[in-house]
Amino acid sequence: MQTIGVDVGGTFTDLVFCDLKTGQLAIHKVSTTPHDPSEGVLAGIRELCQQNRIDPGGIRYVFHGTTTATNSVLENKGAKAGLITNQGFRDIVHIGRHQRVEHYSIMQELPWQSRPLVQRRYRKTVGGRLAPPTGQELEPLDEAGVRRAAQELKAEGVESVAICFLFSYLNPAHELRAKAIVQAEMPDAFVTTSSFVSPQFREFERFTTASLAAFIGPKVERYIDHLDKALSDSGISGDLRIMASNGGVATPAMVSEKPTLTLLSGLAAGVLGGAWVGELVGRRRLITFDIGGTSADIGIIVDGKFAETDARSTSIAGFPLLMPMLDIHTIGAGGGSIAYVDRGGAFRVGPQSAGAVPGPAAYGRGGDQPTVTDANLVLGRLDANDFLGGSMALDAEASRRVIGGLAAQLGLPLNDAAEGVLTILNANMANAIRSRTVQKGIDPRGFALVAFGGAGPLHGAEVAAMLGIPEVIVPPHPGITSAVGLLTTDLKYDTIRTQFQVSDAVDVDRLNRDCLDMQAELARQFEADKIPAADVTWQRVGDLRYVGQGYELKIPLPGGTIDAAGLAGIWDAFHKAHAAEYGHAFEASPIEIVNVRVSGIGAMPKLTRPPAPAGGSLDAARLRTSACVFRVDGTLKSFETPVYQRAKLPVEERFEGPAIILQKDSTTVVPPRTTAMVDTSGSIIITLGDRS
Amino acid sequence: MNVHAALRPKADAKTRIDPVTAAVIHGALENIAIEMGHKLMRMSYSSIIRESEDFGAALTDAEGRQLCECKMSTPLQSGPIPGYIRGILKIMAARGETVRPGDVIMHNDPYGGASHGPDVGFCVPVFLDGALIGFSVTTAHHLDIGALSPGSCGIVDAVDTYAEGLQFKAIKVVSEGRRNEAVWHMLRDNIRASDLVVGDMEAQVKAAEIGAGRYLALVQQYGLATVNAAYEDLMDYSERLMRDAIRALPDGDYTATTHFDGYLDDPDPARRELPITATIRVRGDSLVVDLTGTAPQVPDKPINMPLEGTVDCAVWLTIRSILLDSVTYGNIPQNSGLTRPIEIIAPKGTLTNPIFPAPVIARFCPGNALADTVMKALAQAVPTQVSAGIGNLRVIAFSGLNEGKHWVHMEILEGSYGGRHGLDGMDAVDTLYANTRNNPIEDIESHLPIRVDRYELRDNTAAPGQWRGGIGTVREFTCLADGGFSVEGDGHRFRPWGFDGGTDGHTASLTLVDKSGAQTPLVSKVPYHKVKAGDHLVSFGPCGGGYGDPLKRDPQAVLFDVLEGYICAEQAKTDYGVVISGKSLDAAATTAERARRA
Repeated sequence: MQTIGVDVGGTFTDLVFCDLKTGQLAIHKVSTTPHDPSEGVLAGIRELCQQNRIDPGGIRYVFHGTTTATNSVLENKGAKAGLITNQGFRDIVHIGRHQRVEHYSIMQELPWQSRPLVQRRYRKTVGGRLAPPTGQELEPLDEAGVRRAAQELKAEGVESVAICFLFSYLNPAHELRAKAIVQAEMPDAFVTTSSFVSPQFREFERFTTASLAAFIGPKVERYIDHLDKALSDSGISGDLRIMASNGGVATPAMVSEKPTLTLLSGLAAGVLGGAWVGELVGRRRLITFDIGGTSADIGIIVDGKFAETDARSTSIAGFPLLMPMLDIHTIGAGGGSIAYVDRGGAFRVGPQSAGAVPGPAAYGRGGDQPTVTDANLVLGRLDANDFLGGSMALDAEASRRVIGGLAAQLGLPLNDAAEGVLTILNANMANAIRSRTVQKGIDPRGFALVAFGGAGPLHGAEVAAMLGIPEVIVPPHPGITSAVGLLTTDLKYDTIRTQFQVSDAVDVDRLNRDCLDMQAELARQFEADKIPAADVTWQRVGDLRYVGQGYELKIPLPGGTIDAAGLAGIWDAFHKAHAAEYGHAFEASPIEIVNVRVSGIGAMPKLTRPPAPAGGSLDAARLRTSACVFRVDGTLKSFETPVYQRAKLPVEERFEGPAIILQKDSTTVVPPRTTAMVDTSGSIIITLGDRS
Repeated sequence: MNVHAALRPKADAKTRIDPVTAAVIHGALENIAIEMGHKLMRMSYSSIIRESEDFGAALTDAEGRQLCECKMSTPLQSGPIPGYIRGILKIMAARGETVRPGDVIMHNDPYGGASHGPDVGFCVPVFLDGALIGFSVTTAHHLDIGALSPGSCGIVDAVDTYAEGLQFKAIKVVSEGRRNEAVWHMLRDNIRASDLVVGDMEAQVKAAEIGAGRYLALVQQYGLATVNAAYEDLMDYSERLMRDAIRALPDGDYTATTHFDGYLDDPDPARRELPITATIRVRGDSLVVDLTGTAPQVPDKPINMPLEGTVDCAVWLTIRSILLDSVTYGNIPQNSGLTRPIEIIAPKGTLTNPIFPAPVIARFCPGNALADTVMKALAQAVPTQVSAGIGNLRVIAFSGLNEGKHWVHMEILEGSYGGRHGLDGMDAVDTLYANTRNNPIEDIESHLPIRVDRYELRDNTAAPGQWRGGIGTVREFTCLADGGFSVEGDGHRFRPWGFDGGTDGHTASLTLVDKSGAQTPLVSKVPYHKVKAGDHLVSFGPCGGGYGDPLKRDPQAVLFDVLEGYICAEQAKTDYGVVISGKSLDAAATTAERARRA
């Protein structure tokens, strides 16, 4: 079986082909076509197939990472959307949580007010009200009012409608009825409900998530439809699968219904790719470390399991998003991050980035700000004449000039300023990793750091040293790890139901019934996607908290029928998780099950282990030596450092740092007092010595 | 370990350590404070902390100078932390007590550096080789502190500090690692809803302990001298930025007076309307905020503002939000250096410097009114960096008994901002020194006998201006069980000030509607008031003032406001001289109308 992964990024569209039978792997990169990303996707597939003599007709699945939904929100270019909600609550999405973004600012703007997803004129209210605890009806739905609202929205040219009623997560009846009426009046519109998009409490967050769906829905639907047709028109008969933010893939039909699934999917594929590489070298406790030009994305994998965020920590462009998400921590730190002395005289790096244009001064595209890339070049860690496989010459003089300017401002020698840029950037990234490990009771010293993205392998070893992480894994193709990740996913669907059940009085029948109902609902979805029931595995998770708390922890729930012993185990696991996360458990306090979640995982064919690289020798790989500056024992020193060509490195032969390893899509830095080796899977493993 | 010990900046002799080490340590300090706040918020029980985020977290040095604060915390909670420590140290010195390893010290004394009774600080000292090197502190607003009526807001009739609830003056709740159980029993016995309150206090202790551990580890990694030098540099850095910003102002005296609601139903007119006067004297790179002219203290009503913990925070916060606006300046560390160039003068015995035991528990609204006055004074120096007058907040404390146990719920009702140069005012939001979050309706109704019947923007009330004022909310509640409520608010009497030709904003109001439909308008400060199931409250929030001449507002912006339903077409014409027919702008008629009125 043959599969292909296509990851559309801001600048490049990355492609990976895999023949699962032979283990043949082929990669390709084309420019992204922002006006219609499917053009780049098709061109990329066509070129990849031609170059590698692949029959496009033999491709069974096309796994696709898309930024269409994300860009639509970030660029504030979405549908003319409408919203229908309860009478008296027209402005829930405008008032938000009545909290400012910034504490100390008069001139700030609130995204939900300054660029609303649904303008107020298209927010209609109708009679009808439900109430807790069961969603019982206090006032019947004003169906005539819904019809009138739909007619008005239609007359205004509204393309999509979010139906958002209070307490719909307890009882979706009013939303479903309203949806039917709106669909009848507006047959061409994209219509969704808040209980479908995210059936959990907190009205501002749920209504906003539904509004996001309405905002991006028509665009995402058109894009997916168009791509699906274009693929089959080009003779690629394989099924399209779209990457979702939960770390799984979904069918075109599913994504068209729930477009918010893809909002933060780009990051998820990277973590999956990092996890796959870790698995190949037999490591299951991993920190994935993906650094590009503007940002560093950090994911944590404990014993092969991905951390998920809690519902309250996810947002996009300032809007809250209630969707199951891999926990990926993003900070503004990358190769293009700008180093500067601020108004108060402090030395800072990022989060502003020079981006790709004008880019670092070294790119010679008019960039005149000192960046991380310039610092790496000054210190000899990047090669001006051999960057990205020699496809782009760097201007070392320009880098020295801008770093020199920074050094003069700081009163530091040139190399100290350059190395300072890297130290500050690395410390920022180490803090970000700490916030996801040490602060959650996880000791990073038992983990391996998987460093990828264009700039990850440049910084991985020094960041690992700051955290006491003993080894760094650099994948064979660090620059396309996200596309590789696409080929390791499963079909994954989630559903959630709010419970509000307290440990001293659990209605266990309701709990079991809800779990089964949710599973049945997802099973119907898999059936529709033609996934045999035997290929589906199930996961249940509860969002639990001590009664009165406002934040939940995710606790795995047992499968099958939950009984008294099962419940006892759940409470025990919660106390333990609370102690691990916060350093303390309140053993005497009652526990509340806030939500239960069921995930169904439909197995997909995956990348197989690649054949071991042929390997060469250190002598064959050595291109030259060059002067590189490193800090050892607190002082900067220049080392005559061997520069290796990655493809020719020997397999399973350890060599000592300092060393610089070049390849087309990245540069790996092996600092002094570390050793490195190419593993049989083709990854470089850097082992850190005692650097104290 | 000072990784960059060899590096000394040549250019700027004022820094103590190299800029790289400084940046690394600053990042680490900030990370610790964020972790403390994150954990406190997630572990705590009551919605006032976990939803409203009315808490603070910070590290200080051994003298109480603030090293860093948690970005998620509300400014009025972290700001006073240095004062807590100074107050604690002073009280302990007077008693001949010393701080020891393993202590946890509880403090809420508004005359000893704390903010007001319900805000309780828990302080964990940090020792290195037997020497005290700093404190890790969390503060939080508690639901109840054992005052005369349920809840910790709306205690508007306390006659002195003793009536405000329990007073903790440097109490060791844990002494050298041993819990002082007697104190914990007293807390449980004297506080309503004590499961929640004591649970929150335990969470505060745990979060402060985490901060203390992390701070010690940082000091052990880099050495005390280096960490000390890094934060001395950090304070100098913040000071330098503030001085630069002040130096950019024209020297001069800038005075403003505003009034806030006293007790509008009081027979004594002097207690109904209370003036606040602020004169800002800018000289070179420092300034004096002189509050002379502010009303005398009200000796038996709790609207007096402690100088330390409320007045100073209100002043500092307003000045930094205007002069070092984070949208322009980015994140500047909040620390003691930032306040060095600012001197505050507040005559003793006035509202802004009361004499013990004058009550202070309801100082929240007056404090924000003071912040607004400071902004009004500074507006004369930097007219493009301020907003017109803000709408102040109000808090309703709902309470009742359920099977013999108290429930208490604080409903913080937002205000709105005035218009700004180039920007309309922010609608429906907390203002100036407050930045809490509202409670989800679906959370309230799931856990309390309260129904929320309406939560929307007010109709047709945006204050006209070239940039209009922000719009306040309407929020309505029905009580589903017998119980009570009390109100601590402002803004029922005085309209937020318009600026530079902008129109004044709109006042707030609160009405009680009983089952028969009889309406009782309420004043902004209501002591504990019984309610019956079925009673209904209607709150209208204040609308901020307009900025600039409404006749200069872009007609398209006026049309937008009409289409969005913020104002009606009649208002477009009378307030703005903009003529709208149907859904479009009548440009010719607008030009004529504006010419006629010019």
